[in-house]
Amino acid sequence: MWIVVGVASVFLLKAAGSKSLVPSKMQSMAELLVEFIRGIIQDTMGASGMRYFPLISSLFIFILFSNLLGLIPGSYTVTSQIIVTGVFALGVYALSLVIGFQLHGAKFLGILVPPGTPGWLLPLMIPIELISQLARPISLAVRLFANMTAGHVILGVLFGLTIAGGVLIGWLPFSFTIVLYGLEVGIAFIQAYIFTVLTCVYIGDAIHLH
Amino acid sequence: MAPSQDPLFAGLGQAMRVGTDLLAALIVGGFLGWLIDSYIFDSTPWGVAIGLVLGLITGIRNAYRAAQRWNT
Repeated sequence: MWIVVGVASVFLLKAAGSKSLVPSKMQSMAELLVEFIRGIIQDTMGASGMRYFPLISSLFIFILFSNLLGLIPGSYTVTSQIIVTGVFALGVYALSLVIGFQLHGAKFLGILVPPGTPGWLLPLMIPIELISQLARPISLAVRLFANMTAGHVILGVLFGLTIAGGVLIGWLPFSFTIVLYGLEVGIAFIQAYIFTVLTCVYIGDAIHLH
Repeated sequence: MAPSQDPLFAGLGQAMRVGTDLLAALIVGGFLGWLIDSYIFDSTPWGVAIGLVLGLITGIRNAYRAAQRWNT
């Protein structure tokens, strides 16, 4: 984990070090990253969500870098441990609860009642909404963990088949690994993106009640 | 939702969400039912059964609502 933090910090510090008007390659990459995160926040939370930009950008950059560094052969993926993703998801969810109760007080419990519910449906709708609220951190944690672990297991199995197959048939699983490696790079980006978008959505739900 | 990004990217992101949402609601429903069964009331099969059914309803409803959002 410290390696991930170190690499991300060195990349961003080096990119931000030369504040030239015509950006260098690294500077424009960093600017692209910041603009991307800003776009996510604006789309899901509106302008009032920019208060949480530091939190969300550090989450996104940490998850993205740990996913990508885990794809270097021989290295280790931090996000393929469910304890790491679970702590992130629980932290994000607890934060959204704290923000909601701070802004709305006891009225925040109204998040359990969807708008336009007739009165006789309330005994059914409240348990359903309660389950769907409690499912949020679990699905957030399990999604990131499962995608990362499954990808690495598939790559590991295919490499094992390559070695077991020898020269005669081993080229077939090896070509699959090349294709799947490209897919894994895409998944690394997409999972980091989903985690940030859902963080924004949950905090946004807490800010704008209904 | 987030349409201003690359549409392929955002679409893939939304598609990936649905599967785990279905599963997580089911797990939470069953777990809550089991908790009620073994710690609050002594009603062994019924809590888990009702909890699983509620979790199933919740998961399907959440996936349905997520899918409805794509149409707009």
